[in-house]
Amino acid sequence: MHEQLETLLEMQDLHMQRRALEEGGVRDLETGLFEMSAEQAIDALDAKITELELRLGKSIQERFRSLIGTHRRAVVPVLAGVCYGCFVAVPTSWAADADPNDRLNVCQSCGHFQYYPT
Amino acid sequence: MQLRDFFSVDAIDLDLSTETKDETLKKLVGLFHLDEKSEGILFKMLKRRENLGSTGIGRGIAIPHCRSLVVNRLRVAFGRHEAGLDFKAIDEKPVHYIFLIVAPPLEVSNQYLPVLGKIAQFSKEADVPERLAAVENAEAFLQLLEEKGV
Ligand SMILES: [Zn+2]
Repeated sequence: MHEQLETLLEMQDLHMQRRALEEGGVRDLETGLFEMSAEQAIDALDAKITELELRLGKSIQERFRSLIGTHRRAVVPVLAGVCYGCFVAVPTSWAADADPNDRLNVCQSCGHFQYYPT
Repeated sequence: MQLRDFFSVDAIDLDLSTETKDETLKKLVGLFHLDEKSEGILFKMLKRRENLGSTGIGRGIAIPHCRSLVVNRLRVAFGRHEAGLDFKAIDEKPVHYIFLIVAPPLEVSNQYLPVLGKIAQFSKEADVPERLAAVENAEAFLQLLEEKGV
């Protein structure tokens, strides 16, 4: 897997965890059943996100920030040949790669980073 | 929605012989048969969640969980560890029963929270730890879920 794609995936997962802790269902479960301190957890997640950001090239960092800011996610899955950022079919030559995750693919149509789940 | 419908027999390991929490998480992630890289990412996310606070909810039960793009649908696994593991659980007791839940960030059916809730509900039943200790095979585990109506 492309190194920066791996970092982007991790960062997105952390952003998502963070957001979930600010909202209803997950927050209630985490603070109730699991007795987590949501505020401390959010601080810890922020620190990790900042640390990971430094691993990205400047333009990738900027694209990530802008996508997360406007669309709440930066990396989208490609499932059955369709980009889940815009629901447009990806060029078949991309998906035909031995492992398409070895490249950092950016959707030509919506600009999201793409990931091919197994 | 029935909890048993989310479990497959090959994602149930009743004889874990792992030594540590980390090793156990890795072993359970392995039951999903993802590629090595995805397994690594998932493990890291689960660890990170554990670092925010243990998912050991007491009475020998832990429910490690996270969302990640590396899975394309909700996946659950169950592991039983006879000797017990140090999970830094809320009651500081060893963990014997581990329910692992992972889901993609966006699910059309949005089952992550309800499934987590159902496992929590199941875990709170008074006789569940001893019943889990007694199940002899994966099929009996699934029957127990069914019997409890979760
Ligand atoms: Zn797209």
